[in-house]
Amino acid sequence: MKSVLILALATALELVVMLAYGATSDHIGLIKTMAGEVTITRNSQTIKAAPNMKLMEADIVQTGPDGKAGLILDDDTVISMGLNSRIAIKSFMFHPNDKKLSLIARIFHGTVSFLSGQITKLAPEQVHIETPYATIGLRGTHVLIQIN
Amino acid sequence: MAKTTRFATLIILMALACGCAKRSLVALVPDPDGKSGSISVSNEAGSVAISTPYRATTIESAKQQPTAPENIGKKTLDRMFAEALSIQPARPLHFLLYFENNTTLTSDSVQLLPGIMAAIKERNSTDISIIGHTDTVGSKEYNSELSSNRASTVKKLLIEQGAEADAIRTTSHGKENLLIPTGDNVNEPRNRRVEVVVR
Repeated sequence: MKSVLILALATALELVVMLAYGATSDHIGLIKTMAGEVTITRNSQTIKAAPNMKLMEADIVQTGPDGKAGLILDDDTVISMGLNSRIAIKSFMFHPNDKKLSLIARIFHGTVSFLSGQITKLAPEQVHIETPYATIGLRGTHVLIQIN
Repeated sequence: MAKTTRFATLIILMALACGCAKRSLVALVPDPDGKSGSISVSNEAGSVAISTPYRATTIESAKQQPTAPENIGKKTLDRMFAEALSIQPARPLHFLLYFENNTTLTSDSVQLLPGIMAAIKERNSTDISIIGHTDTVGSKEYNSELSSNRASTVKKLLIEQGAEADAIRTTSHGKENLLIPTGDNVNEPRNRRVEVVVR
């Protein structure tokens, strides 16, 4: 009887862990438009991107010498990348109900247009764009960034 | 104008002169709706704010303060960012559908369905969110279920009209996320809604 109970508990715990994992592994956006070569690096693995491919938190998106890409995040943020550009969505939380809001993007190099979405409206202090030499804070707007 | 051209020329010359790594330029431009907010650009050496569109700051290194914002002009920015801007997706579209006290759409909201379908087709959307809400009449549990049923109802209607089931994500917020703030147990038609986001 005791062992059945333990088994039941273990199964329940596993379910909770799975649910928690499922919640964090939900997609946070997608590659809406693209041209040329574009890759996504996730968990140290790099794959070729295709239009409509879903994005996860911590993904790195890279465009090749002939590549460009347009991303839409779940809070309506629109990011577009020119040739030879590399960015990471380091942190993305969009749960207005629980007031869990955060967006940290990093631009390594290239040309990027960042059109802010709802997180910037609801919690501007939680939105940062990191670049090699400076960090950008936003109050609801459209920013263009070039890093040689 | 002369100043703009001079600044733009200066930037191009500087870019050519030094093959320096990671030199950055950050510019503020207007939103598609014409408004523009403000940005701050900071590092350990200091911080600058920009609140006028088409102004830009440059950053030479992590140890140098970002330069004072200067007008760089729309033309120069359009040229520098031509590739990125050419692929910029349209902003997601949001629709609000309203309900009677149950899971029946109001007749006005039924009329919005063809417009939603047109947006899905036009954007070739594979990422549609449906978020159900209620007003505050009834218990938390009751409203949690009702908001979920409202979202499922809209999902079913869109699928019937040709939307792909696996392109749709439904969530529900019960009475926790009011459009019109009210006390508890308040009958408010504008809170009995489902939001549809087409990306």
